[in-house]
Amino acid sequence: MTVTAASVSSRRIGGRVVGGAFGVCAVLAAVAASTLTAQDAVPGVPMPGVVVAYGLPVVRVLLDVAAVAVVGLSLLPKLLGFDDPERTEPVMLRVRPLAVTAAWAWAICALLTIVFQTAELNPGSVPTFGMIAAYVDDVGTGQGLLFSAACALAAAGIGLMAVRFGEKVPAELRIIVALFGLLPIPVTGHAVDSVWHDPIMISMEIHVMGAAAWTGGLIAMAAFVAPHRELLAVALPKFSKIATVCLLLVGLSGLITGLSTMALTPGATLPGAIVTSPYGQLVVVKTALVALLVPLAAHIRFRLLPAIRQRRATALVGWAVAEVSVMGLAYGVAVAITRSSIV
Amino acid sequence: MRRLLTVLLLACATVGLAHSPAQAHNVLIGSDPKDGATLTASPERVTLVFDQVVRQGYAQVGVTGADGSAWADGVAEVAAERVSIKVKPLPAGGTYVVGYRILSADGHPVTGKITFSLAPDASGVSTGTTGAGAGSSGAAAEAAANGGAGMAVVWIVGALLLLAAGTAVALRRSSSPAAQGERTGA
Repeated sequence: MTVTAASVSSRRIGGRVVGGAFGVCAVLAAVAASTLTAQDAVPGVPMPGVVVAYGLPVVRVLLDVAAVAVVGLSLLPKLLGFDDPERTEPVMLRVRPLAVTAAWAWAICALLTIVFQTAELNPGSVPTFGMIAAYVDDVGTGQGLLFSAACALAAAGIGLMAVRFGEKVPAELRIIVALFGLLPIPVTGHAVDSVWHDPIMISMEIHVMGAAAWTGGLIAMAAFVAPHRELLAVALPKFSKIATVCLLLVGLSGLITGLSTMALTPGATLPGAIVTSPYGQLVVVKTALVALLVPLAAHIRFRLLPAIRQRRATALVGWAVAEVSVMGLAYGVAVAITRSSIV
Repeated sequence: MRRLLTVLLLACATVGLAHSPAQAHNVLIGSDPKDGATLTASPERVTLVFDQVVRQGYAQVGVTGADGSAWADGVAEVAAERVSIKVKPLPAGGTYVVGYRILSADGHPVTGKITFSLAPDASGVSTGTTGAGAGSSGAAAEAAANGGAGMAVVWIVGALLLLAAGTAVALRRSSSPAAQGERTGA
C-alpha cells in the first residue's frame, strides 16, 4: 500500500512539475528576451517605468500560459473519449474545475495587459479609467484583448456548466470557445501594409492556435493522463497525430510570418535583417527552439509511444517536462517578438 | 473533428478579412532636417516622416542639446504620416538629438532618434519648412484607415454569429440519438 501511495503522490508531483516548468520557462524567457531587445531610451522623451517595463511582458506571457492551459484542458475530454466514463470521470473531475480557474486567470491577465499597455503609452502617470477607455477605443490591440477576455469569460461560464453537468456539455464547444479567444491575439503583434496582409494574418492565426493545442495538449497529457496507463494507451496515440500536424503547421506558419513580415517592412532587407534586427534575431531563436523540439517530440512519438501502447511504464513525464520547458521558452520569446523592432 | 476544423477555418477567415489592412508597423523613412545634416540656419520646426499614418494623441518628440537642454516648443503635431514639432531658436555650433516615441499603426510604441547639428556660423531662423498641415485631415485619414468603430462592430457581430452557429451544431450533436455512436467513431 505504501508503495502505491508514494508512487501516486510522486506522479501528482510529476504533473505539477510539467505545468510549473512551462510557466517558469515562459516567464523567464519573456523577461530576458524583452529586456535584451528593448527599445533604447532616447533623449527628450519620457520612457515607461520599471514596473511597466517588466510587468508588461510578465502579464502578457501569463495570458499565454493561462490560454494554453484552457485549450489543453478543453482538448482533454475529446482525447480521452466518451465511451469509458468509469476510467475518464475521475480524471475529468479534477480537470474541469482547473479549466474554469485557468479561464478566469486568462480573462484577468488580458484585462491587466490592457492596463499595462495603456501605462506604457502614457509614461509617468498611473492609468486612469479615461485613459484605458481611450486606449481601447483608439487601438486595435486593446479591442483584441478585450475580445479575448470576453471569450475567456465565456469559456469560464461553459466550464462551470461542465463542472455541474459533466460531459453533457459538448467538448467541441469548450474547444471552440477557447480557440476563439486566441483569434484576436495576433492582432496584438506586428502587421504589414501590403496585399499579403490577410494571408500573413491567417498564417499567424494558425500559428497561435497550433502552438496552443500542441503545448496545452501535451501538458494536459503529462499532468493528468500519464499516471493512468490504460487511459494513456488510448489518448496519447490520438494526441500524437494532432501534435505531428501542429508541429508542421507551427513551424511553417512561423517561418512564413516571420520572413514575410521582414521582407514587407520598408527599411528591412532580407537576409541582412535576420541577424541585424531584434525581430530577426528572435525569429532565429524561435526557429532554433522549434528545431530543438523535433528530436524531443520524435523520441516520445517513436520510442515511448510503442511501449505506452503496450501499457508499459515509460519515462514519459520526464521527456514531457523537457519538451514543455522548450515550449515555454518559445512562448516567452514570442512575447518579445510581438513588440520588437523589425528594422 | 472535421466539423471542428471547418468552424475554425471559417473563424480564421472572418478575423483575417475583417481586420483592417492598413495597420502595420511604422518605420521612419525621412525627416527634415535629415539625420546627420549640418544646417546653416536654426530650423523653425522638425518634421519626421514615417512610411504610413501615425496614430493621433500618443506621439512624443523631444529636441535635446548636447548638454541635455530641451529645445522643443509645444507638443508634437501629427498629420497623417508626418509628425512635427516647433523648435526654439537654436544656438549655433551645437549638436541636437531629436528623440521620438510614436504609436505605430499596429498599436506598438516605436522609439528612435535622429541627430543634426548647426554650423558654427549659422544665423537666423529658416522658414522654408512648412508645418505638418491641417490636423483634421490627419484625423480623417486615420479614421478611414482604422475603419472607425464600424470595423469593430463587424468583427464582434461576425464572431458572435460563428459562436452561435458552433453552439447550435454542438448542442444538436449532443442531443441527437446518434451522437454517442458518432463520437466514438470521431
